[in-house]
Amino acid sequence: MTEQTPAPEKKTSRPEAPIQLIVFRLGNEEYGIRIEQVKEVTITPEVARMPKTPPFVKGIANLRGDIIAIIDLEERFKLRPAGQKLPDHSFTLAIEARDYTIGIVVREVPQPLSILASAIEKAPEFIQDLNVHDKYIEGIARTEGRIIIVLDMLKLLTPEEIMQLKPKPASSGTAERKQA
Amino acid sequence: MKSREQEYREIFLAEALEAYDAMSQHISVLEKKPDDEAALHELFRLMHNLKANARAMGFAEVGELAHRMETIFGLIRSKERAFSGSLVPVMFDGVDTMGSMIRAVNENQPFPDVSTLLENLDRLVSGEELQVETAVVVPSDEDANRKLELSDLVYIQIKKLDHLLNLVGELIIDRDRVLTLSQEIGDPALANVAAHLSRLADDLQYSVMDARLVGVGTLFNKFPRVVRDVATAEQKEVELSISGQDIQIDRNILQIITDALLHLVRNAIGHGMETPAERRKAGKTPEGHLSLSAQTERDDVLIRISDDGRGIDVEAVRRKAVQRGQVSAEVASRLSEGEVYALLFEAGFSTADQVTEISGRGVGLDVVKLAIDSLGGQVRVESRLGEGTTFTLVLPTSIAVKGALLFELEEHSYALPLMHTDSVVSLWPEHLNIVGGMLLAEIQGENVPVVSLRELLSDTDDTLVPASKDTLVGRQDIIITNYNSRKLGLIVDRFLRQQDIVIKPVSQPLDMIDLFGGVTLLGSGQVCLVLDVPALTRLFLARRP
Repeated sequence: MTEQTPAPEKKTSRPEAPIQLIVFRLGNEEYGIRIEQVKEVTITPEVARMPKTPPFVKGIANLRGDIIAIIDLEERFKLRPAGQKLPDHSFTLAIEARDYTIGIVVREVPQPLSILASAIEKAPEFIQDLNVHDKYIEGIARTEGRIIIVLDMLKLLTPEEIMQLKPKPASSGTAERKQA
Repeated sequence: MKSREQEYREIFLAEALEAYDAMSQHISVLEKKPDDEAALHELFRLMHNLKANARAMGFAEVGELAHRMETIFGLIRSKERAFSGSLVPVMFDGVDTMGSMIRAVNENQPFPDVSTLLENLDRLVSGEELQVETAVVVPSDEDANRKLELSDLVYIQIKKLDHLLNLVGELIIDRDRVLTLSQEIGDPALANVAAHLSRLADDLQYSVMDARLVGVGTLFNKFPRVVRDVATAEQKEVELSISGQDIQIDRNILQIITDALLHLVRNAIGHGMETPAERRKAGKTPEGHLSLSAQTERDDVLIRISDDGRGIDVEAVRRKAVQRGQVSAEVASRLSEGEVYALLFEAGFSTADQVTEISGRGVGLDVVKLAIDSLGGQVRVESRLGEGTTFTLVLPTSIAVKGALLFELEEHSYALPLMHTDSVVSLWPEHLNIVGGMLLAEIQGENVPVVSLRELLSDTDDTLVPASKDTLVGRQDIIITNYNSRKLGLIVDRFLRQQDIVIKPVSQPLDMIDLFGGVTLLGSGQVCLVLDVPALTRLFLARRP
């Protein structure tokens, strides 16, 4: 189905290279992450709540010996009716952020999906209707009647993003320590 | 098992051989490009290190040769001589001779005669140009047929050892799980295998920990030079004595305390020691005595920095603390000696009125405290006015395994390092008093503030709600922690047990929360947070009603 266009100068910039996404559901919408950013998909391991972290940080878990933070994006973006909890059995996407791995809980098994790069629209004009702030969105993919919001995980998972929602634990001596 | 001395000898030989190889390479570069700064610098450095190592090992001849060659490379570096003329063959001869000497050490053979070479080098140092005839050295057959040698030692990046240690940590955790499971299942064959696995894992753990151990001497031996420089700058006379260099400690621990030790030594000379004139007046010897010593005590390593200087003036510290607004005058007057010393470790504290080049630049003992805290160690201070001060660093031998007290809070397990645990008590509410909204427990004649850990860890950072006894039902399990002479009682839901744990760092980005020194995995596979007592104490001080 790839249209044969005259070979461009650079191999990498071939316009119709397919993109692999891992697609999962948050609230009633479908979200996607580029497959390169996903390390693995697993059944959510036992999570230990960590005091002094924002509520959407579910805690830490042992993933094959790595202790990683587990976050809940539905709670982060308020996509789930208040009071409704995660099901007992959920799945965790281990995502490679810039310097660390982080787990994202999802309710259903994430599915791989192959789309064309051109199917991702960079300028999402209807972004105001979305619950997720546009700065975390790489684009909107339309394919076979589905609309998939492609997230830019690197922006979403910076330490500032994960920790900032809560005022710095100033009293815990962090500031003191930094100065010393 | 080989003696430490044998081990040092092997390390010396391996380093010397490597240095020799590097020298041969760099001097060839220099021959082609006499103005190659990098090669020259390397040669100078290699000679310098080899000299120091050889002298420390008692190979004076090697030291002498290296010393002369270092001098000449120094002269070339400062452009007083050039790498040309008769100097070149003599230096080549020097490097080759160095190689034969190192081989002689290896084979326990007598050293070759180097008197002519040393003489030539001396003449070069004094600026003479040698007759080319005397200088030219015909390569002997031995040089031409030189054997190639591979060292018995492998250099390994500490990173790789860190990785190995982490893996062993995982293995220990899995070992505990297998042991737990085999007990539950109760199959004798499985129990046998589990027991064997357990022994193997233990052996492996100790071997890896042993591979990371280095002598404290590797750090101590850098101090004679430091002391000399600091003493000169401060115009003081200091005699340094060092003992316990053979005490073994994890290399990374030594790395972390390097700055702390440097700081304490500078402080001791800068602030602790009096000038020779003052010392004479006080009836002391004009030269001050500073000692650096290491010893083991149970599983810990104690490092002591002791001086016979003026000692800590407890009253001056009190005044300074009041002046800085750290404590009120009234509180200051009631503080015990130990509590006053603790003030010294607060950020920015210094009693020295004048800032000298070496010490007292505003960075204080808090730097020392932070470094030792990060290792889960303790700092102790003893001082007598007019007689001197001793700082003792209590350090774990290895960073891998720590004793910890496990307890439960809101259905989660937590661990608290034993290093900071004073005692555990169970008290009925009637044995607790409320003073100024704060719970107090009397522990061994001392009033210790007590706080509910659940409250302390709550998500807000507001001042704690004043304590009330109504919320306390039944016996309270309280852990008394001790940090920097400050005791604090933590009410927990339930004590679990004492256990050796392997602490893993909290991964980013959650490592921003300093309340947790790390995490550990329990035999059940559960993740358990390890609380950091210094940070908890600070949090309590910030939130107390």
